[in-house]
Order: sequence, then C-alpha cells, then structure tokens
Amino acid sequence: MILEAKDLNYYYQDGEQRRYILKDTSVSFEKGKFYAILGQSGSGKTTLLSLLSALDSPQSGTVSFNEEDIKKIGYEKYRRNNVGIIFQSYNLIPTFTAVENVLVPMSITENEIPEDSKTVAYNLLDFIGIGKSKADRFVNKLSGGEQQRVAIARALATNVELILADEPTGNLDEEMEQEIIDIFKKLAHEHEKCVIVVTHSNEIALQSDQAFHLRKGVLSSYE
Amino acid sequence: MNFIKRGFLGITRKKGKSLILLAVIFILGNLISGAFSIQQATGNVESSIKERLGTAATVEMDHEKINALSEEELGVMEFEDIGVDLIKQIGELSYVKYFDYSMSTYLGSESIESYQGEGMEDEVAMTGPSMDYRLKGINYAPVIDFEEQKGKLVDGRVFTQEEVDNGTSVAIISKKLADKNNLHVGDTFTLTNAVYTYDEETGEEELATSRDVVLEIIGLFEPQSIKEDQGESSDGGMFDWMDIEYQNTVYVPNAIIASENKYNMEEYMKTDAEFAAAMEGEEQTFEYYTPLFVLNNREDSEAFEEEVTPLLPEFYTVINASDQYDSIAGPIESMSNLSKYVLIAAVIATVLITGLVVLLFLRDRKRELGIYLSLGERRGRVVGQILIEVMVVAVIGITLSLFSGNLLAGQVSDTLMKADSNMSDEGVMYYSEIQQTNLTTEDVLDSYEVNLNSSYILGFYGIGLLTILISTVIPLIYIVRLNPKKILM
Repeated sequence: MILEAKDLNYYYQDGEQRRYILKDTSVSFEKGKFYAILGQSGSGKTTLLSLLSALDSPQSGTVSFNEEDIKKIGYEKYRRNNVGIIFQSYNLIPTFTAVENVLVPMSITENEIPEDSKTVAYNLLDFIGIGKSKADRFVNKLSGGEQQRVAIARALATNVELILADEPTGNLDEEMEQEIIDIFKKLAHEHEKCVIVVTHSNEIALQSDQAFHLRKGVLSSYE
Repeated sequence: MNFIKRGFLGITRKKGKSLILLAVIFILGNLISGAFSIQQATGNVESSIKERLGTAATVEMDHEKINALSEEELGVMEFEDIGVDLIKQIGELSYVKYFDYSMSTYLGSESIESYQGEGMEDEVAMTGPSMDYRLKGINYAPVIDFEEQKGKLVDGRVFTQEEVDNGTSVAIISKKLADKNNLHVGDTFTLTNAVYTYDEETGEEELATSRDVVLEIIGLFEPQSIKEDQGESSDGGMFDWMDIEYQNTVYVPNAIIASENKYNMEEYMKTDAEFAAAMEGEEQTFEYYTPLFVLNNREDSEAFEEEVTPLLPEFYTVINASDQYDSIAGPIESMSNLSKYVLIAAVIATVLITGLVVLLFLRDRKRELGIYLSLGERRGRVVGQILIEVMVVAVIGITLSLFSGNLLAGQVSDTLMKADSNMSDEGVMYYSEIQQTNLTTEDVLDSYEVNLNSSYILGFYGIGLLTILISTVIPLIYIVRLNPKKILM
C-alpha cells in the first residue's frame, strides 16, 4: 500500500453548523494501479485530492504515504519528493517553454535527478508525445492536449511513485481524453506508478483498475 | 531551473514589466540620489570649512550675556580678569595641543617706514600720529601663528623661552617690512612709544612725550593663509587691509608690551590730572591677555568647551574657531536641510510606490507562485526568486540614477545656492583672532562640489538597495500567505 487515507473529515463551519465535505472517509491505494474517483460537482472529490496531495490538511484523520503520516513527512517536502500533481487547467508557467516547465520540479525535488536533467526532460516529453520542436515552444503556443501532456511530464519529472490528477481530461476532446487515459494506464501498468484520477468521466472509471464513487462526502466502491 | 535562474528568466521573459519597474526605480532613484548627493556635498563642505577654520579656541567676554544686563546691573558689576594661572590651567587640559596668551599694542616709528601694500609706495603718507606697527606679544616661544601656518619663518629663528621669560628686546618682523627698510636678521630698529594728549576743544592730539623701543631682529616671516586667500576671493580690498596689518605686525615677548603699556599709562596720567585722580587707588595692571588654545582635534571642541566653561569667571565664554561655520554657511545649511527632507520623502515614496508596483505585478503572477508552492518549492526560495527579480532591476535602475541624480543634484544645488547667496548680505566678512583663515560665504560656496566619490557611491547603493528591499517586504508577506489549493483548484 502506497497511500492510505484514514477517517478523513473536512468541513466548513457555517455558523454553529458544520458542513461536511468529507466525512470519515477512508481509502487506500497500491502501486501499479490506475484509480478513478468519480463524483458530481461539489461531491468533495477535489477536496479529497487536495488532501491526498497535501495541498490542504483535514480537520481530522490522517493521510499516510508508505505508512508514514504525510504530516510527519512535512506537506511541502511530501509534495516536493513523493507526489506528482496534474490539474484540470494544466497550471503550466506561461513564460516558460515546455521543457523549462518540466525542469522546474527537477530543480525543486530532493530526489536523485540525473545530471543531464535537460535531456531527461526532453525524453520525458518525448515519452508523453511532445517532440523536441514542441518542447522548445512556450506552453501557451501548444494545444490543450499538448499542455496536459506537458503537465503529465512535469508530474513525472521527479521520478515519483504517486500521480494525482484532478479532472485531467476535463478540457479535452474525446480523442485526446483517450490518449491521456492510455498514458495513465501505461504509467501504472508498465512503470509501477500509482495513478489516482479524480473525474466525473465514466469513461475513465470504466478503464481504471479500481473506481470509487464519492457522494455527499462519503466514498464507496463504484459498481 | 533553480530559483536564481527562474528569477533572471522572470526579468527577461517579462520585459514590459521589468521596464516599468526599472523606470519607477530610476525616477525615484534620481530623487534619492540627488538628495543624497547634496547631503554628501554639504557634509563635505562642513568638514572642510571647519578644517580650514582651524582647531583654535579662545576665552572671551560673553558680550551677549553682558548686553542682556540692565544699566543698573552694569554699574555695580565688577568683571574679573582671566589670569595667567587660569590660562595655564586650561592649557594643561589633554585636548590642548599648545597654547599661548598675548597682549598687543600699536606703536609708531620715525626711523622705519611701514608697509602700505604693493604699488602704494608713492601714496601720500597720512598726517597726524602714525601707529602703524602692531606689536603682538608672545609667551609660546615657537610662535603659534607659525605653527598653524598663518605665517612662515623664512629667515632667522623664533624666540627662545629665556628671551620670552626675560622680556628681551628681540623681534620677528615680516620680510616685506624688512626689505622695505633694508633690515636683516641681526639688525636693530627703533619704534616709538608716543604719549599724546587730546585737546577736547580743538580735537587735536599733541605729543606729550615719547621713548624709543629698540628691538633686535631675530627672524623674518611671510604671511601664508591671507596671501593664499587673497587670490581666491573677490573681496581684495579687505584682504589688502588685512595683509597690510599682518605685514606690519611685530612679534615680541609679552613683557615688552606690558612695559610699554605701563610707560604709556603712567606718562599719560602725568598729563591728565583728572584721569590720574580717577585711577588713584585702583590696582594697576598692564597685563590683559588674550588666550589662544590650539586643540589636538576639531572633534575635541565641544568637550573642551564643556570642560572649560565651569572654570571661567562669570561673563566669560569659550569661542571655538569652528563656531563661525554657522554664520557663514547659511546657503549650504538651508540646502542641507532641504535635501534632508527630500531624501526622507523620496525614501518613503520609494518604499510605497515600489512596494505597490511589485505587489501589483505579483498579483498578476499569483498562479505562477501557486504552481511553485504546489510543486513543493520552499517559500523562502519563492521569496528569493522575487527578490532577485526586483533587486537585479533595482541595481540597474540605481546605477543609472547614480549618475543622472548626481548631475541633477549639481544643477539644482547651483541654482539654489545662487538664489540663496543673492538673498544673503553680500560683502559681510567674518574675521576673528582665532581664525587661521579668513573665510567668507563665497569661500563656503566655492568649496561646495557635487561629485561622485566612493563614499557617495557606497552610501547611495546602501540607501537605494535597502529602500527597495524594504519595499519588497510587503509583497513577501503576500507570498507567505498564499494558499496553493485556493489558487490552483
């Protein structure tokens, strides 16, 4: 088990009432698998992802990475060394080229990075389907699908075992969506990564190794 | 792609914003640079003028305090003298390099001609009793005027302490006076101590009696500081007069002056019974000394004054040579004050405006900063990246404004000084016995110079970069409070 969430509670205080986004949520994930968490808008799936990626902290409950509480690891350090995050709106730095965007996390992480990091970045982008000519373009000159590929390459750049993606295909057409799903499957099955995707797409859920359904803050297996 | 490289990329990839920031820093930098240049220049003037004013101090009657007394108070008031013992006590203080106390008197001569200035030889001599020669008494044998470069011994020697103590009839005169009368070291010359009576009805003075004062020349001197100043100032007439006065000065031991004063007074009393009756019973002293203390350092002036003041009799005060700076440095002082306020205002404006500009730029880059934080970048490094971006631009802006602000300061201060010196009372000259140089407001303005020197450059970079650094602290708080989840999700 690479990642485990136990009894997560996350709520907003609304006067004297607590409005729960997540209530006693527990779930675990393994390496080499591609997971999907489905839910409608406002179901709490993005909140769950932000807790799993340490972009936020729960009011109670724990998230453990390789059986160590990420709070103990340190949220910043956990993000830096253990997890790659992919966002729906890509969140690339527009003034940098594709390869420069991939190089950014490589300079931040404490994980071992090959000396020739630029070549690694080019290779990563190539693996994801971005050739050298596009790798040297500013990211705002790339299509949505290409930008999302760059974002995936960036998530992989620090050689992490855990990839978390928030609606990664939300802005893409069906063809592009399938290409991204294929990349995730490849990462999980061929490269032993744990890929967790938060989505409202049934297509992703159907192609995942295991899917969960999140409704009113309660997580259940997706049938 | 570490934070340093990202910082530099931030500058080059966002040229428009970098140029706006550069323009803001350049404009504000000019204000700071200009004000700082003027501050530096006025500071330099103050120290150089005070240096030229010398480190001398004296003790004088406090005229301000005496003038404040009512006539009744003045009538019953008895002013104590500064005695030699007190002068010596003050002279023993650690601040004092050397000291002297002297009397002076004026004598005439029938055997030698006085110096009347260059090209004045053919002028008609003044009628009436002539007292052209100023005898200046000496107790400090090496002569303070020579030690302090007011005059320079060009031939012969200074006094020996034995000559001073015994009141030997020896003298040091100016080379020009000697040349005019074909006198040399070892020669003797004769001055006349003449006693005149004054007829109140006719207003005429009549010679009552006289005696010869024969002095042996042991040395010749040439004036130094007055001669130098003469060439620099437009006020030639005043300096001519001062030069003539000094060329006709005869340095002698104090005892000679005391003896001549005594003779003059005693003989005069013989001719004026009324005056003699009035003086009867009064303790007669012919020794009224003016002390002169040369201090080790100009910085010792205040401490010296503080230590000496309690020792003085009532109605005496300490006068330092550098005290006169305030009275001749009006235009500089007003400019110094103005530049001080401009500097403070410019620093505050820079902190606010630069801070606001950086903050506005950062708001535009909120998402980018959120991305760094989501990737686990340390907040300190994100702060470092922003600091690099701002400080690199600031160094360029400050370097440019270093030169332009300095030029600007030169122009502005020239205009201000011209306006200010036109308003001040021209032609007023400040002279005192304790001054080694005789400076005017014009000298002060002449010594004002805005230039680029290392202390200015270092000081300006220090103030400029510190100001920009402080102004970047506001955006830093903004970065520290950023929540990547709220920005990105």
